[in-house]
Amino acid sequence: MNPDAVAVPEAVQPAPDPGVSRFALWLAAGAVLTLVLTALSLLIGTSSLRTSIEWLRSPDAQANTVLWQIRLPRATGAWLAGALLGLGGAIAQGLFRNPLAEPYLLGSSAGAGLGVSLTLIAADTSLSGLAWGAEIGITGAAFLGACGGIGLTVLLSRGAMQTASLLLAGIVVGFLLSAVQSLLLLSSPDTWRAMQAFLLGSTGYLNWHSSGLLGAAFLVCMLPTVLLARGLTALTLGEETAQSLGLSIAFLRLSLLAILSLATASTVGQVGAIGFVGLVAPHLVRETRPVNQRQLLIAAPLCGGILLQTADLISRWVVRPAELPVGVVTSCLGGSYLVFLLWRRARRV
Amino acid sequence: MRGRTALGAWLRLIVGCAAIAGAPIAGRPSAAAQITAAPNGAAPIVLEDAAHHTLRLDHPPQRVVTLLPSITETVCALGEGARLVGTDRYSNWPAMVQKLPKAGGLDDADIELIVSLQPDVVILAHAARITERLRELGVVTFDVETRTYEDIARSVTAIGAVLGVPNQAIKLNRDIERSVNDAAVGARLALSGRTPSVYYEVDRGPYAAGPQSFIGEMLARLGTRNIVTAELGPFPKLNPEYVVRHDPDVIFISATDAPELKRRPGWDQLRAVREHRVCAFDRDTTDTIVRPGPRVAEGFAAIAACLGHVAP
Amino acid sequence: MSEPFPLVGRELSVSYGGRRVLERLSVDIHAGAWTSVVGPNGSGKSTLLRALGGLLDLEHGSVWLHGRPVQAWPRSDRARRIAWLAQSSAPADLTVAECVALGRFAHTGWLGALRSRDEAAIARAMAATGAQGWAGRRITTLSGGERQRVHLARVLAAEASVLLLDEPTTHLDPPHQEDIGRLMREQAHGCGVTIVSAIHDLSLALMADRLLVMSEDGLVGHGTPHDAVNGDWLSRAFGKPIKIIGTAGGYAWQPQIGSKPSSGDPATERRPATERRASYRAASR
Repeated sequence: MNPDAVAVPEAVQPAPDPGVSRFALWLAAGAVLTLVLTALSLLIGTSSLRTSIEWLRSPDAQANTVLWQIRLPRATGAWLAGALLGLGGAIAQGLFRNPLAEPYLLGSSAGAGLGVSLTLIAADTSLSGLAWGAEIGITGAAFLGACGGIGLTVLLSRGAMQTASLLLAGIVVGFLLSAVQSLLLLSSPDTWRAMQAFLLGSTGYLNWHSSGLLGAAFLVCMLPTVLLARGLTALTLGEETAQSLGLSIAFLRLSLLAILSLATASTVGQVGAIGFVGLVAPHLVRETRPVNQRQLLIAAPLCGGILLQTADLISRWVVRPAELPVGVVTSCLGGSYLVFLLWRRARRV
Repeated sequence: MRGRTALGAWLRLIVGCAAIAGAPIAGRPSAAAQITAAPNGAAPIVLEDAAHHTLRLDHPPQRVVTLLPSITETVCALGEGARLVGTDRYSNWPAMVQKLPKAGGLDDADIELIVSLQPDVVILAHAARITERLRELGVVTFDVETRTYEDIARSVTAIGAVLGVPNQAIKLNRDIERSVNDAAVGARLALSGRTPSVYYEVDRGPYAAGPQSFIGEMLARLGTRNIVTAELGPFPKLNPEYVVRHDPDVIFISATDAPELKRRPGWDQLRAVREHRVCAFDRDTTDTIVRPGPRVAEGFAAIAACLGHVAP
Repeated sequence: MSEPFPLVGRELSVSYGGRRVLERLSVDIHAGAWTSVVGPNGSGKSTLLRALGGLLDLEHGSVWLHGRPVQAWPRSDRARRIAWLAQSSAPADLTVAECVALGRFAHTGWLGALRSRDEAAIARAMAATGAQGWAGRRITTLSGGERQRVHLARVLAAEASVLLLDEPTTHLDPPHQEDIGRLMREQAHGCGVTIVSAIHDLSLALMADRLLVMSEDGLVGHGTPHDAVNGDWLSRAFGKPIKIIGTAGGYAWQPQIGSKPSSGDPATERRPATERRASYRAASR
């Protein structure tokens, strides 16, 4: 090292990151894939391909309903839900600095499940319960339950002072609320199958209203996330280092928690507790190209959306006209991906 | 290698002996093949049940535990409800049954409670996991098959035989047959030749009742056409789009799920929804529909009544 | 800054898990000087650094930065004046350029783009630590020593007036250790930066302008290396005889592991001119 190299001409700039334009290309490819999947969604369902194409050419009233009231909002909603899950996963993994973190860690899915089972049981057992249940619906109940679960976690970890205690509290709350939910289900076994349908996740009932809600949630979550990206990058160096850089860890953590909560709660409310998408999307992004934190926070939602759209298509196509629960398909896809990663790692060693 | 062929030979010998031993009482599952008891007498009972186990009782059982609602209802309909000492948690008819000790469900039965009740026989559905466990503990079990419409008559006969009241069983079967026929005739009159297409939703999902299910059988009896085809299985989880495409004349659904039918994408376009041809059954009515038991005629009549009103 | 002590700690008391690590410790850090904190493991070197950086909740006592309590400074102002290097950094998935650019966080804030001033500071810092060729590489692909230099560059890029460095020379091979030592001297003497470092390597620590010798029982002494040698602070701190010999460049630690007697007597002879001047300065304080 040249000891005289202290005084360097001011004009020397660090080399510009050549990955920027390549990242834009990658995003464009993702957008194209999304469009292709959406187009496929229009063609795949309970009708044969030929019928679907005929419908597009000369639609009657029922075809219009199926194509534009059922299939298109379902594809859009699936992408948005997957994007929210992907974003949640990227935030969770950055916040907890743990590659196995996923958006349901803070008790959101357990809370949502409890909310849904309470509503189903109330509706089943009394007329007033039925009225109330119809009022907020399964969607509202799941959303409120998810928020409740996360709130309980934050309370338990005493205001999210330490990341480790937040993680622990989330796991504890998850177990606790699942246990309560199981107890409730035992007392009212008729709701069991409905609960199962919810827990396994379903994109079947997504309409334009739900897509609108998901879209709004997506915007509300993405914008602040991009703004907080630099802080999250600093956080990856360690909490004390980030603090010494002038970062308010508490502010960053609480903001990210709020975004994570909104993203998870809105998704769970609309499509149930679909697993693996939040976990796998950030990893898939990193597999295809190295990205910094800000790029990851943009790419993971895109990847998650594509993942869930694909899973939705598969669930509709494999056993048509019946359909598989989309949560089962995402678990199979996600599980096989993880198995593939393990196998590749074993081979490298 | 030689050891293995020897073992195989022994196994075949043992199985052969068992088969020979079981042969004299061979018969159709759950058929009361050998009733070696005098009717309503206190003589020994020897029966083979749906699991091909032989039941031997010295005298008709006085303490009976049932682990399925339809079996409970059958016992009570035979007039022997007083002999019940315990049921499963889902049995709720008739009212007197609700006060009995509850021994859990079919899959998670409370073994300890059952044993402590000291039953003379436990009557449960075919292929329940706990059967083996109870038999190990020395409890006498009796399997009945209770899935299809034909099973109803068979199980009534079998349960009547177990309880030592075969005459009452014959009478009950006649009554059931008669009320079902009455309801069917009444339904056909009300429908007056129409064959509406129907969709029966069993649960949110949506899970539909296919033709192979008990509900599907009843619907077929009434002359309706199920939009679900047989190859989809008894309770398929449908793509909601399927219902929109087939546009059933009548929709059957539980009262709790009925309000949000309109909110499902595309379902507000369904004729059945627009013209209010939705039969929403409350819990008690649904119980009579889904349980293949003595109240089958009630369920039948409920469906028929609603159909008569709303079918186009 | 004309003030003599930009960083002052008064009656600092910190406990970890029931154990008192710092007990009413008071230090005045000299401006424009490189102070090296030495002491055995568990004496509280890292803790002292953290406390001085305002990163710890103190049970008792206070830290003063440029005459104001460190907690009274707005977060970003404080971050612009104190830069801290952790003992070990979590392996982050960043490129070298991104990592060093994070050093400017206090100046750019959450959203600000890097201006030419920032770019220049980053370039200078990377050149100073020899990391200028690695801008596009990911730090996970670097060796331990290379990563250390990148983090040092990040700290330098902040252009703070006070640097708190916790073990800045671990993982570095001797030539690089020398370079870092030289760099710290230049920053202190040439740019007037106040540097406090915790360094395990005694010979390197003895290159500093001032020594802060700590033991498990508290502060042993705070003064020039000459004072430390004269007062045999190191032996007291470590609880064992530590042999320091005078050399042309300053002082060096001679590990006593062989039976061969040492060649020179400790420090009583050949005080270099710089040390004489330093001791006169100390005497006239």
